[in-house]
Amino acid sequence: MKQFRSMVYPYVAWIAVMIVLPMLLIVLYAVTTAGNDVTTFRFTLENFARFFSDKVFLDVLWRSLFIAVLTTVICVLLGYPIAYAIAQRPEKSNMFWVFVITIPTWINMMVRTYAWVGILQDGGLINSILGFFGIGPVKMMYTTFAVVLGMVYNFIPFMILQIHTSLTKMDKSYLEAAADLGADRLQSFLRVTLPLSLPGVLSGITLVFLPAVSSFFIPKLLGGGQYVLIGNVIESQFLTSGDWNFGSAISMIMAIIIMISMYVTRKVDTDPAARGKED
Amino acid sequence: MKKLIALALAGVLTLTAVGCSSQNSTSDATEKYGSDTLKLYNWGEYMGEDLISNFEQEFGVKVIVEYFDSNEMMYTKLQAGDSYDVLVPSDYMIERLISEDMLQELDLSKIPNLANLAEGVKNLPYDPDNSYSVPYFWGNVGIVYNHNNVDPADVEAEGWNILKDTKYAGKVYIYDSERDAFMTAFKALGYSMNTENEDEIQAAYEWLLEMNNTMEPVYVTDEVIDGMANGNKDIAVMYSGDAAYVLDSNENMSYWMPNEGTNLWSDAMVIPKNAENPALAHEFINYVLTYEASYGNSEYVGYASSNQQVLDELSGEGGYYEGNEAYLPRSGYDKDEVFHDNQTLKKVLSELWIKVKASKS
Repeated sequence: MKQFRSMVYPYVAWIAVMIVLPMLLIVLYAVTTAGNDVTTFRFTLENFARFFSDKVFLDVLWRSLFIAVLTTVICVLLGYPIAYAIAQRPEKSNMFWVFVITIPTWINMMVRTYAWVGILQDGGLINSILGFFGIGPVKMMYTTFAVVLGMVYNFIPFMILQIHTSLTKMDKSYLEAAADLGADRLQSFLRVTLPLSLPGVLSGITLVFLPAVSSFFIPKLLGGGQYVLIGNVIESQFLTSGDWNFGSAISMIMAIIIMISMYVTRKVDTDPAARGKED
Repeated sequence: MKKLIALALAGVLTLTAVGCSSQNSTSDATEKYGSDTLKLYNWGEYMGEDLISNFEQEFGVKVIVEYFDSNEMMYTKLQAGDSYDVLVPSDYMIERLISEDMLQELDLSKIPNLANLAEGVKNLPYDPDNSYSVPYFWGNVGIVYNHNNVDPADVEAEGWNILKDTKYAGKVYIYDSERDAFMTAFKALGYSMNTENEDEIQAAYEWLLEMNNTMEPVYVTDEVIDGMANGNKDIAVMYSGDAAYVLDSNENMSYWMPNEGTNLWSDAMVIPKNAENPALAHEFINYVLTYEASYGNSEYVGYASSNQQVLDELSGEGGYYEGNEAYLPRSGYDKDEVFHDNQTLKKVLSELWIKVKASKS
């Protein structure tokens, strides 16, 4: 392997320019005041103080975390059975169902979210059908329901695919062994399948939670701007008020929260009690 | 399965091929302008259906259009180094771009159609002799309401304060921009919308907070157009041109310019310093001012034309917008104001605005 080591350098350079440098810039913006030129910086922690001293921003942070956690939980509860059902299919139709799950992601997320506006709005598809039976109109747009629905819809493919992958690469002989030893189907699911698929669930959680917590487009469109989440605050700092320093500080706070949550997730992942019997 | 994928891929490729082949005979344009591509950065839903295709055909060029939904978004992209040949920002943003030396001075000899310019939009304070900008559309901001569900007498008596009338809670669209939101509040309270007085700003902030917490408003930008045309809500703060379109497509809607005064604005075409093809940009600006292009734009979008003849014809007898209260902007009303560029104020308002939206009752 040693002779390939030099092939890593382009990748390192790529990461440095595309990932590390922008991150450093965000940190730099976050701890400086506005209006610096290239040579002099005035350092400050005021941007952070401003965030934590204002109840409105803290409420927004809580709301974002709440909606992201809710989205993630729903994605696990819905995604697991779907992934399990797909994994039970014969290999050929397995491919087909995975394909079906990924098709929506071919279409731009904005377009898909706009489609939900047409479905959910007062004169939209669902309410027209309900109206046909003399019910409604039920107000669905601009509610927590609409925002969470939009998030679950957009992010659940990541969950299903992760769980599906860990279910299909599982060695089936474990199940045969469990059956040999007298476990019924429920027992073998709880004691073999579930623990073995846990790494998939955990990476699914990461892949859903991250975009959900920083999403700004879905709450804007389906929440009618009333569900201001942390992503919306960051967006408005950059795009409308032009306060890049404060925007960077909030981004950094988010990044730290995300890093902590990933650390916790990994902790659970490596915890022997939860890890299962993977070799 | 594989066949299906192959078929889908083939379809995509065919579409791409068709898309490419429609651009031809561009070498003449390259010779004349130095390049055959124009990069236009314009507002969403802001051009007649055939404007771009007609221009492409007539001049044998290709136009790449990108859309923005706020002046600030446009400014941010421009500052990040993106290059465009023609932009269509609003008055106060042009004022800012000029003061920051980001615009090219226009070669007016290349824009003979400037003679067609409507009287009402000539020589506005942000660019007194139109040496940087050529007006595209102009108008004001007003209240669109469904006269079946909202009493016109209420709208006329309460003006902007109808946005706080809890009789209509849950039925209101508010335009999601700190500029327009604070304009409404300032005017409702009888202040100037360019005020820097801290007490007045605080009062306006509280006005908006109360509105947010009692009215369940929905904050929208361009979605307001379809929303009101479909009659999803009963009251909306809208730009006059969008309102003209809504009135045109939904007969239950009316337009009211509040007596407390409103924002008189104009959007104009400018050429940024870093434009790659200024020669073609001039050609485009000149083209937009022609009777045909202006007519197509204004009739389709519903904003007041910057071409005098088009404005007269569309709003006059037998014109498409005859009797449409929103088409022709009110001019000469002393409580109507034009926005000025004020960065410190903008920052303050912008932060207050996100706090208004984030606060829940």
